[in-house]
Amino acid sequence: MNYSILLTALLPELFVVLSLFAALGVDYGLLRHHPLPTRSRIAASIACIGLVVGIAVIIGQMLWFAPRSLGQDQIVLTSLTLGAKALLFGLATIVCILSADQAPNTHVSEYYALILLSTLGAGFLVCTENLLLIFVALELVSLSLYALTAFNKSSRASAEAGLKYFTFGAVSSAFLLFGLSYFYGVVQTLNLHDATLAITSLEAIPPLLRVAILLILVGLGFKVAMAPFHFWVPDVYQSAPTPVAAWIASGSKVAGFFVLIKILQPVAITSSTKAIWMGGVALGAALSLLIGNLGALRQSNLKRLLAYSAVGHAGYMLIGVLSGTVEGMAAVLFYVSIYALANLGAFGVINLVSDRNGLTADIQDIAGCWKRSPLLALLTAVFFLSLAGIPPLAGFIGKFYLFFSAIEAQPTIAKWYEGAYWLVGLALIMSAVSLYYYLRVLKVSFVNDPVDTPAPIRVTNAEWICLGLLALLVLIGGMFPDPIIHFIRCSLAG
Amino acid sequence: MLPLFTVILSFVGALAVGLTPPERLRTIRWTALITALLGLITAAFATLQYHIADGGYQSVVSLPWVTSLGIQFKSGVDGISLSLLLLTGLIAFCGVLFSWDIEHRANEFFAFFLALIGGVYGVFLSLDLVMLFVFYEIAIVPKYFLIAIWGSTRREYAAMKLVIYSFTSSSLIFFSLLALYFGAGLNTFDLTRLTTEAHYSQTFQIVVFPIVFIGFAVLAGMWPFHTWAPTGHVAAPTAASMLLAGVVMKLGAYGCLRVAIGLLPLGAQHWAQWIAVIAVINILYGALIALVQSDFKFVIGYSSVSHMGFVLLGLATLNTTGLNGAVLQMFSHGVIGALLFALVGGSIYRRTHTRQLADFDRLIDRMPTIAWLFIVAGLASMGMPGFSGFVAELHVLIGAWQQPLFSVWILVVAGLGIIVTFAYTLIKIHEAFFRRSATANDPAHPLPEKYPPLTCPETVALVVLIAAALGVGLYPKPLIELINSGLAPLVAALATGAVTP
Repeated sequence: MNYSILLTALLPELFVVLSLFAALGVDYGLLRHHPLPTRSRIAASIACIGLVVGIAVIIGQMLWFAPRSLGQDQIVLTSLTLGAKALLFGLATIVCILSADQAPNTHVSEYYALILLSTLGAGFLVCTENLLLIFVALELVSLSLYALTAFNKSSRASAEAGLKYFTFGAVSSAFLLFGLSYFYGVVQTLNLHDATLAITSLEAIPPLLRVAILLILVGLGFKVAMAPFHFWVPDVYQSAPTPVAAWIASGSKVAGFFVLIKILQPVAITSSTKAIWMGGVALGAALSLLIGNLGALRQSNLKRLLAYSAVGHAGYMLIGVLSGTVEGMAAVLFYVSIYALANLGAFGVINLVSDRNGLTADIQDIAGCWKRSPLLALLTAVFFLSLAGIPPLAGFIGKFYLFFSAIEAQPTIAKWYEGAYWLVGLALIMSAVSLYYYLRVLKVSFVNDPVDTPAPIRVTNAEWICLGLLALLVLIGGMFPDPIIHFIRCSLAG
Repeated sequence: MLPLFTVILSFVGALAVGLTPPERLRTIRWTALITALLGLITAAFATLQYHIADGGYQSVVSLPWVTSLGIQFKSGVDGISLSLLLLTGLIAFCGVLFSWDIEHRANEFFAFFLALIGGVYGVFLSLDLVMLFVFYEIAIVPKYFLIAIWGSTRREYAAMKLVIYSFTSSSLIFFSLLALYFGAGLNTFDLTRLTTEAHYSQTFQIVVFPIVFIGFAVLAGMWPFHTWAPTGHVAAPTAASMLLAGVVMKLGAYGCLRVAIGLLPLGAQHWAQWIAVIAVINILYGALIALVQSDFKFVIGYSSVSHMGFVLLGLATLNTTGLNGAVLQMFSHGVIGALLFALVGGSIYRRTHTRQLADFDRLIDRMPTIAWLFIVAGLASMGMPGFSGFVAELHVLIGAWQQPLFSVWILVVAGLGIIVTFAYTLIKIHEAFFRRSATANDPAHPLPEKYPPLTCPETVALVVLIAAALGVGLYPKPLIELINSGLAPLVAALATGAVTP
């Protein structure tokens, strides 16, 4: 392998790694005796600089380099993977900015180092088509996230959530690895592209492949919060530091769905291999829709509410995965990107109204937001209504595209229970249910008066810019989605 | 292009008002009023510009929007949408006048109000199914906040109930949109192309029609999904209940006509009798429930449900006279319903601070002008000749006679409904204005001899609404011709696609 090519290809990652070491080095070398807020802000700035430079390099690569793949698809750089990587870096930047004003504990630079590490992992995850590298990258993301979840060392709940996340996550990784090894046994290659060829040339479907796909689905089901493997989600979202929860809900979700689509691609070509996993995914989608949306109805903690809604949204996206077509994949990628933006915004708001004032994200923390900060109330409305799928926000077009592609995949049905019609119907009913709990948050924010003497909402300029940018993207994504959809579709089709 | 300005104006107005600081009440009110008035004027000019002789969709604006999903931005007007645009402008203008005294978060109130109006205009103008749906959903959220923040009786419950009903029914519409798209196979959501080029099979039409129709009809207050309407109307602030009864319920009826009947004529013919049955239940049930209400606003709320029954009955006739009656009734009930809500929820409540009929003590002596205005409005609502309601209901009933599919019992029940309407109107007028109250004569808090007279904005709004009802009642010809020009292609499609039962 030519190392100069490798170096130019991985230049963005290199900058992120450099900023990782810089953040650690500056913090421990120069700033040991400075006050905590200064250290946190400086470390966050260094991390952000690394990520932003990384994004700039990625954009340069998209503009000037032809699509390329290195080391037998170990690193695949197309406009799609580069775009996803830029999105992930961007999300991570915002997470860093949101964390800058409050350090979870005294180890500030490690906090940012872990966020950068998980970003690197997620970046590799979307860029690789090698089974082994997928697993390694996924573990890099997961291990960083376990540590981040438990980062608030003074909180018992945070430690408990970290442990829970770790136990569930480790088991799911084992399932995934087991599944991948069986998969390797069938296709005799680590390369997903070759695996596709191997599977299409199979005459009969070996039972081993069924087991492999099932185990992979279980393993990845944990990562994307698919019911019935969602048990870790509410506790982790609620107890992790809010920016970390935001990162789990946005960045790791994007990466998770990306890899799910990628792994299922070899078995999504022929209808006989599709039949192996379609039933399972359909069941998972239906369960996620029901459990997520009905579970969220009774939550009075904002982060828990968003956790259940995350399970529900995984259900919507699984409908797109189920269609197995390029159009369906494009719909999932569009939806997960939009969802990540809106969700990050929602967590950002919670971070400002609750965590900043030492509160625990009870729904009443946001009460009277219209009086305390009208602009923040408006932004809250944009994020939550986009999650609910109200036009003209992007969440609506996302849902529309998902259901559109699901029905397009199988427009004519012989029997009523075939095809995606019943799942789309269920999803539509559940999205009506979801409006109830999203509106409940907005009701508290817009209708209720502030509870006794609320702490003022302090927002730094950087945070205003981040939230404003997210809201703007959500709005633009809803009003002018055509270029984005076109981009995803074209780059998926190759 | 001209009609589209109604939408643009409303949203720009909403933004401008929303950004004005809440203390500057005068600026806020006048901006809202001028925006609403400009909307009305635009609608009027668009109507004048429309060539009735040519018919069809005119002033069509077509721009690419989400081409990858077959969605375009396409708007245009025909006779039906123009009459509803006029109605919307009228109600918006009077609604602002009736919100003149709102001081609590006034900027937000008028922003939500104008956003709702913008959504409603948008629905009436859309010639693309997805665009129509987008505007339909845009109208949902402002309704929630208008009721939940500025409402009265159980406002949060009522607001949530209304929104859940609207959103659930719109998920039916969403589902059927996809079915219509893939059923046609034309790769477009363009309403005009789907109407002329998509040849849906009879089975398809029979299966999909009820989904679309119920989806829209929930918002038109169709029994048994009407229960959001009375609670929502009662809880809403005056201007919002005027809008709800005046135009939002018409969104549903418009969707039923334009999308369900327009695209699926065979399905409509198959289900017409059942719609008629539900329609007369609406008429009679709404009237009977109105008869026993003790809250004045609930009386009006249920009378709305009853009157929307006539719209549904008109739609079910599927002939020119009946459909014309349905659209006329949309217009007529829009005006008269808004008038009644303005009087009961606005003028009377503002002075008495109660809506319980038992507490009203011979209001005819204490507020004679308002009482007489209500009596006039009540007679109009009852279907008195000379008012728009009479013309509309007459058309609907003649249309129903002409429809051979209907059993005679449908007309009998509709007739019964009319009699009960007479009964509750007269009884409630008596209870409200002419009866001595048994409970309200508390010597510690004597009722005032005379309540304050009507304010200037109130007078203007009431006069405009009564004039509209009278104008259409006395000289309905222009409106009927306008509506007929819009109905002509629809009726032609119904006739060619006719199947014998």
